[in-house]
Amino acid sequence: MMEVAELRPPDADAFEPEFPTRRDTHRRNFNLGAELALTQFKLKYTGSILGYVWSLLKPLMLFGIMWLVFSAFMKVGGSSPRFTMQLLVAIVVWTFFQEATSSALSSIAGGGNLIRKAYFPRWILVVASTVTAAMTFVINLTLILVISVPFGQLDLGLRSLLIPVFIVELYVLVLGISLLLSALFVFYRDVGQIWEILSQVLFWGSAVVYPFSMVSAHSATLAKLVAMNPMAQIIEDVRHALVTPHVPWTADIAGGGLYLVPLVAVIGVTAVGWVVFHKLTPKFAEAL
Amino acid sequence: MKQNAIALRDINKCFRVPLDRSTTLKYKFTHPRSTSRYRELHAVRGITCDIPHGQFLGITGPNGCGKSTLLKILSRIYKPDSGSMSIQGRVSPFLELGVGFNSELTARENVFLGGAVLGLTRAELRERVDRIISFADLEDCADQKLKNFSSGMQVRLAFSVAIQADAGILLMDEVLAVGDARFQEKCFDIFSRYKREGRTIVLVSHDLGAITNYCDRALLMDHGQIIDDGNPTEVTAHYRRNIGADSDRTATAIEGSTNVAPSRWGTQEVEVVGVRLLGPDGTPHQTVYTGQPFTVEVDFAVRTSVPEVVCGLAFRRSDGNTLSGPNSRTGGHPIRLSPEVKTGTVRYVVPDNPLLGGSYLLTAAIYDEHAARALDHVEDVLAFRVADEEGRLGFVDLGGRWDHTASSIDTMAHSALSTSQ
Repeated sequence: MMEVAELRPPDADAFEPEFPTRRDTHRRNFNLGAELALTQFKLKYTGSILGYVWSLLKPLMLFGIMWLVFSAFMKVGGSSPRFTMQLLVAIVVWTFFQEATSSALSSIAGGGNLIRKAYFPRWILVVASTVTAAMTFVINLTLILVISVPFGQLDLGLRSLLIPVFIVELYVLVLGISLLLSALFVFYRDVGQIWEILSQVLFWGSAVVYPFSMVSAHSATLAKLVAMNPMAQIIEDVRHALVTPHVPWTADIAGGGLYLVPLVAVIGVTAVGWVVFHKLTPKFAEAL
Repeated sequence: MKQNAIALRDINKCFRVPLDRSTTLKYKFTHPRSTSRYRELHAVRGITCDIPHGQFLGITGPNGCGKSTLLKILSRIYKPDSGSMSIQGRVSPFLELGVGFNSELTARENVFLGGAVLGLTRAELRERVDRIISFADLEDCADQKLKNFSSGMQVRLAFSVAIQADAGILLMDEVLAVGDARFQEKCFDIFSRYKREGRTIVLVSHDLGAITNYCDRALLMDHGQIIDDGNPTEVTAHYRRNIGADSDRTATAIEGSTNVAPSRWGTQEVEVVGVRLLGPDGTPHQTVYTGQPFTVEVDFAVRTSVPEVVCGLAFRRSDGNTLSGPNSRTGGHPIRLSPEVKTGTVRYVVPDNPLLGGSYLLTAAIYDEHAARALDHVEDVLAFRVADEEGRLGFVDLGGRWDHTASSIDTMAHSALSTSQ
């Protein structure tokens, strides 16, 4: 008798129907998000000779130019202590904000095939995109700490323990904006251009390349206004916590209960982003 | 205890296809009142259906009947406009092989990525990755980038990942449309296994043979509605009768050629000006039936007088294999043209169509009297379908007759014994 070889797939164990639990679904979603984020991170550097170095070079180049123009030629940082470090930290924070939002902007529109052919909560694509940028940010920030601390360039203290709080605040802000932008971008391609302009405005309005003291010296009211801008608040507070205590907390600049304004703004932006994203989610597959 | 895996109640889905899509905000601002013109496409209308656990359901129907839309609704990719849907169990849609694959990654990395899209975790995949790669016969190039793989290798990898899905409800759309015969065989093997394991499967397919062979139940859809539901053999027979009736659009070429950009060459001394396929009733059809007569008519126009021409045809299967290439010379029918002839029609009559069900392409050509120089050769001028009500396997009906004998003596065992000694 000839034996008929049965073609067996790798996993032919008896199958048991299962009913998904909430926890199980969360686990699978988390896994997919992590896989997508890691893949994007990896893909960003495959095929380039310098690889990750680019992610470091970009903020460093920007820092070099800004330092030359604002610190060396225009001496804007003159009065502010450790302005060079302030500038570097601010630029690393800004680069993250810029890269995360601009890459997340097209995360839904660019994930067309996945959205049309597979089911998973769509926000995973946005989270994966922003997490990819966050990985670069965390690595860059760590590198700065590792290099600068031995040279005594950073004045660390107990207040530095607040850094994670600001990072979380920054990430929530980035996520909220990204949800809003990525959902709108599916339907209106102008959003890309609009965001480019808006983020330029935000860049110059967030005291990235000049010390906050310059604004305060100009007008206390203007300083209060700028301190209410979440990006300015995050950057200035990171400077205070990490670089030097001689830079005041934005809460002290704003005074009174106004220090809550940026926090409320972050929560508000995120809530709006979340609501808009959810409202538009069912239409993604049809529009792409 | 026996609950339905999927219960659909009056599901409707309507697409608004904009005639002029406004994707810029400027348009919205400058035309605030325009609700932009659109065409409504009612893809799925009032579908109500229960699918019990463990059922293998096949859905078929002509293109645009809404079967893929329904599958996407089940997959939760589209949200229905109205109606209710309840699904008991985890769903894994296979709308395409290799969803999520990235050509810049290695085979191994793609297993993790594609697996994650299917809902498998990294730990589960780490355990299975070697088996997945060996099942796809890709052990030697597991760490090569996917872009360096042939399309066959990519399909094999995608398929071995896809069959890892451990969901209880599987939704498949024309997965069988890709790959060669061996691969399709593998697919069927997996289907049988899923069926044995008692999973619920919904298969959307044009392959009526697969539906008859594997499904417990079939749905026939048309214009967004279920028009037949029941035994796969009966439903597919219903469909075969229907496509013939439905596609009675005239198939006339070259005016109204059904084909996309036929390639054409020749001296143009005599030109092919029309090609038709006539059914038994003598009117043009796009579908002919196995076993019934049909006629091909080729109209020609003489531009420069030639004494004699040869008319040739080629019947080609959609995969490019020519099944038959008759011409009037080998057919013993010389076409002599006196100088005053301006136009004419050549007929090729097939009394008993041996072609089995499928899509075919027809090439028509006029050559010089030696069948050497092309006067007008039009490749794939006409596309047509052959419908076979019996759904037989293969390309042609050899017309053989069956017979058998039976005996009480074990003749086979005898011969086997004698050869082994």
